[in-house]
Order: sequence, then structure tokens, then C-alpha cells
Amino acid sequence: MRPRRTPVLGRRAVLRGLGLGLGAGALAACGIPPARQSADKCISTDQSGTQKLLNFSNWPSYMDESEEKVNGKTALPTLDAFQKQSGIRVTYTADVNDNSEFYAKVRDQLGTCQPSGRDIFVLTDWMAARMVSLGWLQKLDHAAVPNVDKYLLEQLKSPTWDPNRDYSVPWQSGLTGIAYNAKVTGEIGSWADLVGKSELKGRVTLLSEMPDTMAIMLRLVGADPGKFNDAEWSKALEKLESSVGSGQIRRFTGNDYVQDLNDGNIAACMAWSGDVLALQADNADIKFVVPEEGLNLWSDNMLVPNKATHKANAEALMNYYYDPEVAAELAAWVNYICPVEGARQAMEKIDPELVDNPLVFPDQAMLSKTSSFMPLDTAKAKLYETDFNLAIGG
Amino acid sequence: MSAVGQLSAASQTPAPPPPRSGRRLTAYLLLLPGGLWLLLFFVVPLVSLLAASLYDPNGSIEDGFSMTWSFGNFADTMADYARPFGRSLWYALLTTAFCLLLGYPLAYAIAMKAGRWKNLMLALVIAPFFTSFLIRTLSWKLLLSDNGFVVDALKWLHILGPDGRLLATTAAVVTGLTYNFLPFMVLPLYASLEKIDRRLIEAGGDLFAGPLTTFRVVTLPLSMPGVVAGTLLTFIPAAGDYINAQLLGTPKQRMIGNDIQRLFSAGAYPTAAALSVTLMAAIVVLVLIYVRRAGTDDLV
Amino acid sequence: MTSDLVLEGISKQFAGHRAVDNLDLTVPAGSFFALLGPSGCGKTTTLRMIAGLEEPTTGTIRLGDDEITGLRPYKRPVNTVFQNYALFPHLDIFENVAFGLKRRKVKDYKPKVEEMLDLVELNDYGKRRPGQLSGGQQQRVALARALINRPQVLLLDEPLGALDLKLRRQMQLELKRIQTEVGITFVHVTHDQEEAMTMADTIAVMNGGLIEQLGSPAELYDLPATTFVANFLGQSNLIRGAIIGQADENLIVDVQGRKVLVPKARCRVTEGEVWLGIRPEKVFLAPAGTEEGDGVNQLLGAVVTDVSYVGVSTQYLAKLPWGQELTVFEQNTGARDTFRAGDAVDLHWRPAHSFLLDAAQDALAGVEDVE
Repeated sequence: MRPRRTPVLGRRAVLRGLGLGLGAGALAACGIPPARQSADKCISTDQSGTQKLLNFSNWPSYMDESEEKVNGKTALPTLDAFQKQSGIRVTYTADVNDNSEFYAKVRDQLGTCQPSGRDIFVLTDWMAARMVSLGWLQKLDHAAVPNVDKYLLEQLKSPTWDPNRDYSVPWQSGLTGIAYNAKVTGEIGSWADLVGKSELKGRVTLLSEMPDTMAIMLRLVGADPGKFNDAEWSKALEKLESSVGSGQIRRFTGNDYVQDLNDGNIAACMAWSGDVLALQADNADIKFVVPEEGLNLWSDNMLVPNKATHKANAEALMNYYYDPEVAAELAAWVNYICPVEGARQAMEKIDPELVDNPLVFPDQAMLSKTSSFMPLDTAKAKLYETDFNLAIGG
Repeated sequence: MSAVGQLSAASQTPAPPPPRSGRRLTAYLLLLPGGLWLLLFFVVPLVSLLAASLYDPNGSIEDGFSMTWSFGNFADTMADYARPFGRSLWYALLTTAFCLLLGYPLAYAIAMKAGRWKNLMLALVIAPFFTSFLIRTLSWKLLLSDNGFVVDALKWLHILGPDGRLLATTAAVVTGLTYNFLPFMVLPLYASLEKIDRRLIEAGGDLFAGPLTTFRVVTLPLSMPGVVAGTLLTFIPAAGDYINAQLLGTPKQRMIGNDIQRLFSAGAYPTAAALSVTLMAAIVVLVLIYVRRAGTDDLV
Repeated sequence: MTSDLVLEGISKQFAGHRAVDNLDLTVPAGSFFALLGPSGCGKTTTLRMIAGLEEPTTGTIRLGDDEITGLRPYKRPVNTVFQNYALFPHLDIFENVAFGLKRRKVKDYKPKVEEMLDLVELNDYGKRRPGQLSGGQQQRVALARALINRPQVLLLDEPLGALDLKLRRQMQLELKRIQTEVGITFVHVTHDQEEAMTMADTIAVMNGGLIEQLGSPAELYDLPATTFVANFLGQSNLIRGAIIGQADENLIVDVQGRKVLVPKARCRVTEGEVWLGIRPEKVFLAPAGTEEGDGVNQLLGAVVTDVSYVGVSTQYLAKLPWGQELTVFEQNTGARDTFRAGDAVDLHWRPAHSFLLDAAQDALAGVEDVE
């Protein structure tokens, strides 16, 4: 071997390494391709005929559990019954903690028409709407889900972002209202009190999901969250900025307001009905209020992404959970609003106390006060997200 | 006497022979794993982050981002995020100062006075690392909660007013940061204090320097490498932290890390990347100035 | 300006052992005093108590009329040259030397530092860091740093221990020269008997926290008081014997049936079992059967078992009839016979060259401690 003359770490070696780095840079310099897909470009094949399998991603505490364990695992009664009845083996994972976070988890696959490894996942309206507009979801066959067509609550049948429920089926629904800790404060009856009452200064939290918080701000400036224009948006944003600026708002939270509310660190907050119901079981001081101005109704929706190979199995599961008996059993455990008509009657047998609980089966009076957030195209969504982000920055 | 100089010059060892090609190959092989690792997980991400900071700010995940060399991104984001940006550096500075004030006496006590308790005390300093950063910060939240005993005690002592609170204040965020990064200050300080030859301290005393003077002119200068390392290890991660601001603060305490994290998950890549790059650049510049001024290269 | 350094009843008790045991010592002003002993003998502890770095468990330390026992180190007119020098690595040579003066707020210290650097011949090195200097140069910086303060007592803790042999010799002479020049009391701790003998006016040989013997180098060597001193300071042949009487100024000692004489003044005991000591260079070999004159002690019937030629002298081992081997150094003057292994020889020496020690002492004390 001819002895080399270069020093230990030669210039050439350094250049080569730099070159590799720059190569990666050159790739990155081309930008990032669009993530939008379309049904004709991204074709999925269904293998449900041969594979009795289903991968199901859901939020934590969103599936009924039984007290006793089977083979060391917590039994999931309704899901276990589905598996037995249909012969489909379900891999159930509670790995959706946050809409944005889950979006980040799957966007690289779905954005490039790659399988995401899941056949069904559950996301909130606004994120589901985004995925519909991105063309990331498979169209459902209504013939395969007769129960859904038959029993889905009237108010939920045609959201603006998916008017025929072609891509989404609500899993559970919920209300965004006010919760307060009666040990710390008197009743808070309106959103105006929540963001304006000076006794509550620094002891109020709002939600960090933009549609939740902004729907309320829009209401407070007299706009309809279901249909508003840029001028109304700006006014709502100013309202938010002034509440933050005055120190009224302590934090913007996800689910984590639950602990603060329970501990009395905060007096009142914007809260999701199901969380409050769960909290009330242990702490009688926690109250949920339907504010004078109205409240938000939202759903978490079952979605079948592109390249999922068990769509028919997914549809079988959707249909199964729209059986009122099954829906009642699930609702009795998860405490959110049950989107299935007829489940209320079935609940009589399971938990009569819940039958009249408006946070599980809201009455018409309550439903009439609800609205959903206007669907936004991506450019608007981004603009509004940025506005919101800056406003809560203080 | 002049012979002494010659003698010692002669007794110096000759320069080592130049390495041969076999050894050179070994050097390459030894560099390979670390080099590849750095290339894959440092250079590539860094370059793509730099690239992302120059993408079209009007792009989106849905429609993609094209490279438009938008250097304006930096000015635009700084205009929007100057306050949390400045706040992050300020909090990091406060955190570093508190860590130094708390950490130096602690490290000194462990290194110089702990005797046989030394290992136990070091273990206690590191012990918080056995739980996750998040859990530790959540425990702080519990500790400082409005109905917790700390607040009650402070109210009883009239240090806090009847409506006073600790959570959701700047103090809570800086306290949380200080707590979380204290070990990063203590460990390098301990290492450099421990290394100091005790005879140097005795020599200070022997040469008419009282304990305080000895500390000022001997111990402190000799521990400067630890001070520099500790302050850097504290300042840099503290400036980029967002957990403490998220859990212990309010929107008014939001740090730049919160914005970067939020912008990234909202898909605003160019803005998030531009903020990250600016933060990195700011830290690098500050660190360079600091290291220059501290003159670490002069120290043994 | 200097005064005697006096230690009275000084003890130092550490957890589990007594490092220094009821020590009395007077170091005359202006003397070069060595504390000599093996490691662990208490010499360094004694030094540190004088410096104020350790506090005595009992006893008092005085400088002239001033008691300094409880005084903090930085308040004592005493400076130390530390083992391995303990130079401040973050300061340059000039600042190291100026350190003490600056602490005492001495104005205009610069010429003094220059002068001191001159004395140790390091004037061109002021801007360097200690790490850039050789061991010998560092040693001189340490000396300058201490001396510049004009202490009443300068303490030196194994100051030459880190230097190689040649450099050490040179520095020994250098230290002696400087001490003579500045006239300050030097207290020098060492385990190297040659170093102590070369430099010190007075040596205190320490062992086990006690002073075994104190005196000038010549006194210690010529007439050791204990087997420890006899073995630690140079080499000694110790032969078992018993006092059986006296004649004039001599005691008569029986060694395996042979009578030898030792002057009374050189005897530490006057009766019973004894060690008869003779330095190897004071014993002479003669071919077996050679008659020696009166007044010369003789042991007969030995055999040479080992010969090593070391140039200036030849070392013999001679085995006596009862099995003990004596060491004999013969100067290679050319005037005397040389021997080979196996030669039958007689041994002889002058009574004034031998000494008697108590047989209760260990004949091997101090042998293994010599480094």
C-alpha cells in the first residue's frame, strides 16, 4: 500500500463530509412538495375480504373498560363483543392525545400517499375538516353503515365540512362550556363573566385549540362562530388580546385544566363536558354551566385514511357502534355526548341516572344553543392560527 | 545556576515520530461512527432547518413549501416574536444567575467539605434526573399550587398577600427553570472545584491571604472553567425551554420555545425554522462573546 | 529580626493514630534545620503545625517571645515552599512571586519582585505560566515566592523531591547559598539523608512521632544514639555482644568469645547485652593470621562471600564464624590488599571508630525505611 501523505483529517475528507451535508441541504433547498392528495391519484385497496384485521387509534379513556382483567389485560366489553361477533381482530391503541400532535404524526405518510398504519383514527371536527380538504380520507360506503344513517343525531348529520358524512362518522360528541370550582368562586353564568369578572383575574384558563376559544370570542363580539367574516374575526381577536393583556387569563390548556380546576388553582375555565362529568364523580364542587351566550358542540370523528387496507372492516365497526344498545353501553362509561339516537332509551337498562343527564343526552333546549365552528380553507386556517398564536402570546 | 536551564532543556523528551499510515487509518476508523452520527443527526437536520427558514412563508403543508430564499422571514418573524424572544434570553439569564448563586456554594461544599458524604451528595444532586423533566416540572406545579402548603406558609408569613399566588408568575417559571437546570450548573462546577489542588489553597493562606481573599484570588479563578461550562450548560437549554413556561407560567411568560413548538405543529415551517435559526444564532453569538470575555483558553 | 523557633510539648492526634508525640524542639535563629525521617514519621505534620496548616492537639509554638500556636496561617511570619511547589497555575511567574507582597498591600512591589527573580535567576521568565517551566525552574519560583516575604522562618516540605538526581545536587548547593545569603531560618523536611546532611547545620531525626536524635550531621553519623539512626543515616554493622568489664577509658565487650574495646564516651549503655556498631568504611580486612598492633579490635576467621567493585571503593561481605555477614568498604587507594570471594580474612578496627547501643533495640530499625 502506498503511504498516504494527507494529514490525519485531510482537507479532502473534510470537504467530502461538507459535500454530503450540502447535498442534504440541496435536497432541502427544493422545498417540501404539497401534501394534498386526491382519490384518483392516491388509490387504496381493501383487503378486508381476506384479512379480518383492524387497526384503531383513539383518544385515551374513550372506550368502555371493565373492572376485571382478562389474561392480564383490561377487558374492553363492547369492543371484545364486536371482535367475537364479527371475527375481526382489532388492534386498539390510545395514541391520539392532541389533534395537532396526531396530525404531525401522520402527515408525512398521508401527505405522500403512504400507509399510516391505521385503519381508523378519531379526530375532532376541525382537524377532520382539514383532512377532508387535504384529500387524505377514504370515502365511506353508506350501504355498509345503515345504523349510522338511521341513528345519527339530526344536529350532527351534515356539518359544513362533510355535508353528507361521506368521510366521517362521529364517535362521541361534546360541549365546550364553562366549568367552575364552587369552593373557590360563586356561579359563573356567562362567557362575559369568565373573561371579564375581576375577581377571577389570573384564575381562568381557556383552551389552546383555536376553534374552541375563538368561537367564544366571536360570540362575545356578537358574531356567529358558524359563519363570520374577517372584520368580526379581528374584533374577536382584539377581545382575546385584551383578556390576555389584562392578566385575566392564566393559561391556554389542553386537557390539563382538569387538575388545576380540581386543585382550585383556577376558579373557572373553558371546559369539555366529558372531562367535567368525570371530575364531578370525585369532586362535587365542580360545576358545568351552559353559558347564556351559548356553547360549542363538536364531535370527534372516526376517519378512514388513504391506504388503509381494511375499510370494510372499519365500516363494520362504525355500524356496530351505532347500534343503540352498544352506544348506550359506551356512553355510560365515557360520559360524553352520545351521537346515537335511541341510545337514551337503551340507557334506561344500563344506568337510569344518566338518562336525564343533559351532558350525555342533551335536550333540545340545550342543543338549540349550540353551534359549530365555521370550516376554514387551509389558507384561512393558517392565517387565523397565526393570529391566534400571536394573540395568546401576551 | 545557568546550567540548570540547560540541563532541563536537555532532559525534555524529543518530539514523537510522525504517525505512520496504519495509525492514520485507525484514526479514520475511529472518527467514522461519530462522524456519521453527527452527519446524519446534526448536519443534515441543521441544513434542512436552515433551508426551511428560507421557504416561501405563504406555503402550507397542504400546498407544499417552495424554496424562495425568503430572507425576509427573519425580519418578519422577529417583528412578530421579538417579545417572547427577548423574554427567553432574559429568563435564561436570570436562571443562569440563580443557578450560579445556588450551585456554586453547593458544589463548593460537596467538593471541599463533604468528606465521606461526597458521593451521597452528588447522587442527590443527580437524583432528580431519575424522573422525567415533565414529571419534575409537574411536581413543582403541585408544590406551588394556590392551595399548597408553600403558598399557605408564605401567606401566613405575610410574604404573600391573601390573594397572592406563586403559580402562573414569572417567579414560578424562573424558579422551575432554576430547579430543572441546577444540576447542569453543579456538576461542572463540582468537577472543576474538585480538581483544584488543596495545596494551592493552603499556599494562599501561607502567603497572607485570608480565607475570603484566597477564595477570590485562587479558588474562584481556578474554578472558572467550571463556571463557564456550567453557565453555558444552563443558559443554552434554558433559553430554548418551553415546558416550564407552559406548565408554570401564563401567556405573559411565554418563551420562544413555546412559539417554535406551536408553530412547528401548526405547520408554519418557515416561521418556526426562522425563529429556531435566529435563536441558535443569538445563542452562538452570545456564547462566543462570553467565552472570549471569560478567557477560558487561558485556564489550565 | 529573626528569633528562635521553639516547639514545646507538641502533639498531634489524628483519628486513630498519634502523628507527633510530645515533641520539644528549638530551632536556633538563622540556622538551616532539617527534619529527617521516613514517610509517616511525623515530620511533615510538624512542619504543617509550624505553618499553621494543622493545629497541635497539645503544646505551644513560639517565635522568640511571641506565641503563634493558634495563629491563622496568613497571620504568621512564616512561609512555606510546598512539596510539588503549589504554584498558582492561573498566574504568571511575576504574579506568583508578587502574591504575598500584594496581599500585605506592599506598595511598589515590582522592583522587589524583579530583585527576587534575579536572585533565583529567572528574570526573563516573569511573563510565563508555571506550566511552561521545568521542574527546577518551578522549584526556584516556589522559593522566590516564599522568600520575597522575608519570613522569620522558611519552611521547605521535600522541596527537591520532584527533581532528578543531578538537578537535586545542584539545587542543594543553591539552597544552601541562598540561605547563607538571606540569613533566614530554614526548616527543611526531607526523607533523603544525603540531602539533609549536605545542607543542614542541625538535623533532627524523627521516627514514629518522636525525635530519635538531634545534632550536627557529623555527630549523628559518627555517634548514632539509636539503632534507627545508625541504620537510617548511612549504613552500620551491628554485632551482638555483652559488656564484661572495663579497662581505663574503655569498656570490654565480649563478642562470641573475643574481647573488643569501646571507649566509654561512645557507649550508650554500661552493662549487659549490647549492639556493637561499626560503620563499613571503618572496618578493614587483612589476610587471615596477619598480626595487628595493640589497641586494635579484631575478629578472626571470616570468609569473603561477596565482592563488588564500585570504582572509588570496593564493597565486601565477610562472613564471621557464627554466620553473621559484615559489610566492609575498602577505599581503592592502591595501598591495601584486595580480596576475592572465598579468601579467609581477619577483620579489624580502631576502638574509637565503634559505638555501643542498647541490645533491647531492634537491629534492623530504620533499614527498610531508607529510600
